[in-house]
Amino acid sequence: MILEGLLARAVQMSTPLLLGSLGEVMVERTGVMNMAIEGIFLLGAWAGFTGAYITGSLAAGFLCAMAAGVAVGALYGWITVCLKQHQIVTGVAINILAAGIGIFFYRVLFGVPLLPLTVEPLRPLAVPFLSDIPVIGPALFRQNILTYLAWGAMPLGWWVLFRTRTGLVLRSTGANPEAVDAAGISVERVRFGAVLAAGALSGLAGAFYSIGYLGLFSNDMIGGRGWIAFALCFLGNWNPLGALLGAVVFGIADAAAITLQTSGIRMVPNEFLIALPYMLTIAATLARKRFNVPASLGTAYIKEEK
Amino acid sequence: MESPHNEALSLRGIMKVFPGVLANAGVNLSARRGEILAILGENGAGKSTLMKILYGMYQPDSGAVSVNGREVRIRSPKDALALGIGMIHQHFTLVPVHTVWENVVLGLDPSSGRPADRKGAVRELEALGRKYGLAVDPCAVVADLSVGMQQKTEILKVLYRSVSILVLDEPTAVLTPGEAENLFGFLQEFRAAGNTVLFITHKLGEVMEIADRIEVLRGGRNAGSFLRGEVTERELAARMVGGDIPPVGEPPSRPTGRDVLEVRDLWVRGSRGHHAVRGVSFAVRAGEIFGVAGVSGNGQEELADCVCGLARQERGEILLDGRVLPREDPGAVFRAGVGYIPADRHREGLVLDMTVEENLVLKNLPAYSRKGFLREGAIRENAERRIADYGIRPPLPGSRTASLSGGNQQKVVAAREIEAGRKCIVAVQPTRGLDLGAAAHVHRMLAGARSEGRAVFLVSTELSEIMSLSDTVAVMTGGEILGIFPRESADLRMIGMLMAGRKGEPE
Amino acid sequence: MAEKRRENPLFDAITDPDGVLSSLFFPAMSVFLGLASAGVLMPFLGHSPAAVYRDLFSFAFRDIYNIADIFAKASPLILTGLAFAFAFRAGLFNIGAQGQFYLGAVASAACALSFPYLPSWVLLPLCAAASMAAGGLWGGMTGFFKARFNANEFLVSMMSTYVAVAIMDFLVRSPLREAKGEYPQTDVLAEAAWIPSFLPGTRFHWGFFLALAAAGAAWVLLWKTTLGFRMRAVGKNRAAARFAGIREKSVFVSVFLVSGAFAGLAGFLEVNGVQHMVVQGFNPLLGAEGIGIAVLGSAHPLGVVLSALLFGALKVGGLLVTQTSSVPSSIIAILEGFVMLYVILSFYLRHRLRRSRSRRRTAAGGEAP
Repeated sequence: MILEGLLARAVQMSTPLLLGSLGEVMVERTGVMNMAIEGIFLLGAWAGFTGAYITGSLAAGFLCAMAAGVAVGALYGWITVCLKQHQIVTGVAINILAAGIGIFFYRVLFGVPLLPLTVEPLRPLAVPFLSDIPVIGPALFRQNILTYLAWGAMPLGWWVLFRTRTGLVLRSTGANPEAVDAAGISVERVRFGAVLAAGALSGLAGAFYSIGYLGLFSNDMIGGRGWIAFALCFLGNWNPLGALLGAVVFGIADAAAITLQTSGIRMVPNEFLIALPYMLTIAATLARKRFNVPASLGTAYIKEEK
Repeated sequence: MESPHNEALSLRGIMKVFPGVLANAGVNLSARRGEILAILGENGAGKSTLMKILYGMYQPDSGAVSVNGREVRIRSPKDALALGIGMIHQHFTLVPVHTVWENVVLGLDPSSGRPADRKGAVRELEALGRKYGLAVDPCAVVADLSVGMQQKTEILKVLYRSVSILVLDEPTAVLTPGEAENLFGFLQEFRAAGNTVLFITHKLGEVMEIADRIEVLRGGRNAGSFLRGEVTERELAARMVGGDIPPVGEPPSRPTGRDVLEVRDLWVRGSRGHHAVRGVSFAVRAGEIFGVAGVSGNGQEELADCVCGLARQERGEILLDGRVLPREDPGAVFRAGVGYIPADRHREGLVLDMTVEENLVLKNLPAYSRKGFLREGAIRENAERRIADYGIRPPLPGSRTASLSGGNQQKVVAAREIEAGRKCIVAVQPTRGLDLGAAAHVHRMLAGARSEGRAVFLVSTELSEIMSLSDTVAVMTGGEILGIFPRESADLRMIGMLMAGRKGEPE
Repeated sequence: MAEKRRENPLFDAITDPDGVLSSLFFPAMSVFLGLASAGVLMPFLGHSPAAVYRDLFSFAFRDIYNIADIFAKASPLILTGLAFAFAFRAGLFNIGAQGQFYLGAVASAACALSFPYLPSWVLLPLCAAASMAAGGLWGGMTGFFKARFNANEFLVSMMSTYVAVAIMDFLVRSPLREAKGEYPQTDVLAEAAWIPSFLPGTRFHWGFFLALAAAGAAWVLLWKTTLGFRMRAVGKNRAAARFAGIREKSVFVSVFLVSGAFAGLAGFLEVNGVQHMVVQGFNPLLGAEGIGIAVLGSAHPLGVVLSALLFGALKVGGLLVTQTSSVPSSIIAILEGFVMLYVILSFYLRHRLRRSRSRRRTAAGGEAP
């Protein structure tokens, strides 16, 4: 029973990590790091909640979340890809700004309610037959629609990246932007497009926390998970399937922590459990010996000394 | 004769200014169909810039471009390709981790989610390869190919798009003489089919061999247009330089000194895990310039890196004055009296954002510090002396090194290294990217070091540089030293054959 | 290309990329634009930006207490700003200043709580040293990971903050918890551990001058010592530094040790100078604000000090405004974010100006660099 619950929760909690890391893989394959990922997660959570609360439709909420992600991505992309400014500093600026903007507009729209406003979050959608398989059935096939989408998106992302012409262009842009330029493709356009896509996915991921899981919005609900998704891209070796594996591991760690906390077992201090995902990320970062880093990752492509 | 119907392309009044550099100042150029036009000029003459404008990678500040008699605006390589213009760059624009067919297919129909069609591409590539005699394995990973093969991949990439105007930027810089012959054969066939070739080079010999017409550029301007039969190499050289060529080299001395730098059975692994240096042994004597000739990519850089402590050898020893040099410790090697002028002064030689005086003490901090604090007076003094001795302009120790010209930057590197290299100086491509005047200056400095009794180990892909400076010439191919002889007995044909030795595909 | 340009000396002076005027002009413009942008959002909540800013600045300088508070607020900001700026000079990113600050705070408090009977002149330096050691070692851990495993220091320092928060939470909930056991906080520290006040009746304590001294030390370290030389070389061109025999791994560790020590010292200032205890989750934005301050100050110690004072003023005035009206406190984060973005945009602008100026000079026939 506990195992089932643990697995189910692990799969569920891995959803935003999957979406976020898929977007990150796509964009880092073109040589750009999405340093604003945490901020986009947060604004996605806010936009998703706001959209869902006002229209009464969760689907609208998710669309708003993606739109917010694209908008922030556009700002980040403009500064780092077009203006060629520093990716880390820009990301930090946007993350700080996003933290303020989310809560500011929450106040503008909803004031200061006595009790936090809520919406009904996503309900699980059981797949007939498959969800009756013992143990893994409920874990894998009694999840909400966003989770199914996220899990389906990973192999799809792998296929796009490694088997289509678009994927070839993406990978080439990160490996050798000069080659792409000489072939007549605009490096900036490819990168900017990838940043927008990553923004949309990360916004969606953030909305999972607000309208896919908890049903409310609070400013510290992301708690660094955007950064874990970011790290998963590294750890998955810039491959969607690798990120999938990593997300599962972290999902399990996250779920285990929550299960232990709520079960009242006092083997380890609570705080240790909370810190577990972050320590795991550090450990994994250290253990990864040989990376297949996209060669131009982090550097702006300066075409001519304009 | 000039017939407007025969004109494939023309560039008129092209002007291009970069910050600090006037690359093209009103250049005119025209080329006919079925013609090979050589664009000749030394480093910095503006040839590459002009061609990049033609290919749409740069936009001219003013001027007009016409293709097949019609004026056009080429805003990007996409436009150029659409007009039938293809370019083979000096630094290959290939993605090393991808295969040949993936590289060739890149850019065709980029926004379709269609699966990349491997089988179709492979078939077409094999057909193209047969047609033009450029056989490459389409499924090979580019990084594993020889340089000659990589260039063939570049050419196939361009041919795949049906071009009628082919631009090549210094294509033989990385080829053995045999591979270069192959390339010329292909170009002649291409021309015979009625296409146009624009061939950028600074090598006079090639020009006389392959070109129909020659356009000389100097300092960003036209400096003469000739038919091949109408002009001699001497004249072309004079046009390139704008005057008399300064005397090249000094007569070889007879080095009688002891062995200063000894390399014994050295094996070094390259970046891809293979052996870049295979069992190399030689010695450089005091008062001798030992020049290693060879096409780049044959292990010379790994060899030099190992000597100066930037790389670690797998097997073998390096001795300085009979004592083993510390491994992988560039600071210690430096202090032992070995100076190293690196191939890329911007990457390894200088910290461009630091001042001249800071760069001059970059490798020798302990001598200029006391208890952890910098001795600014001593640093300033040192800089002033070097600036005076080596004629560094502008003579401001506190100026940012990035603001100096290429020649002066190299002087800073040389000043630091030659001063420190009291026993031995290693120089790799020391005149790359420098104009003739600055290059001559560097040569004089190296010859001067030789006269003072130091050992000079010179590595260069410019055979002329090796031949004019060295007392002893060695040829390095495929990681091995294939022959060592005194300069008088070295002849170009033999060296060419040695350079082709084990390297390259069967011709 | 012959353009007729009227020589405008003021324009040239301001846009001269190496000139002093431009180092002041562009940050000032960024702050101004940041204020304006945040001001645009205020009407959404029914506030007039003019009124808000008027209040903000008048509050900040209303009386001695508030002015003194600016210095009190600026003190830890100088240090977290230095933490980021110092590492940045070596090309490294210390995003973990918040965690290093917390651990420094906890170490200092633990020290004070363990030795309350020691006299001030022993206890204070002891606490300061403990805070620097804790912050330095925690930061040094990141540096070590980078040196030994070539780990991505951005990620590691970022994650280490969350771990540090967990550690602080744990300590404040059990071993160091107040005797009453009511709240997750420590007891009030003994008076011997209080940093003496510079202006009695205000919160302005001598710690400010300690922060200034730290800024001075950073400047000396960077430009007058061999470590600083090596750091700057590594930061500007790692290949050349390696080629010059500079051991970059030891630079990584040293830089993070110092950087973490700066952030840890901020913990000493806040705990012993202002709060006199440790409350769970206090000053949660100090690290992030330090990054903004470092960027605004162009990663230069003097710039960091000036920016910290500016941010201090904004915080003092801003907090008062949020207390006396319904302007939410999130406006401050919005302000900081906007200022940072404008600073980044100003980098771009200066870059373009530098280029076009250089191009003009060359086209007019100058010596080609």
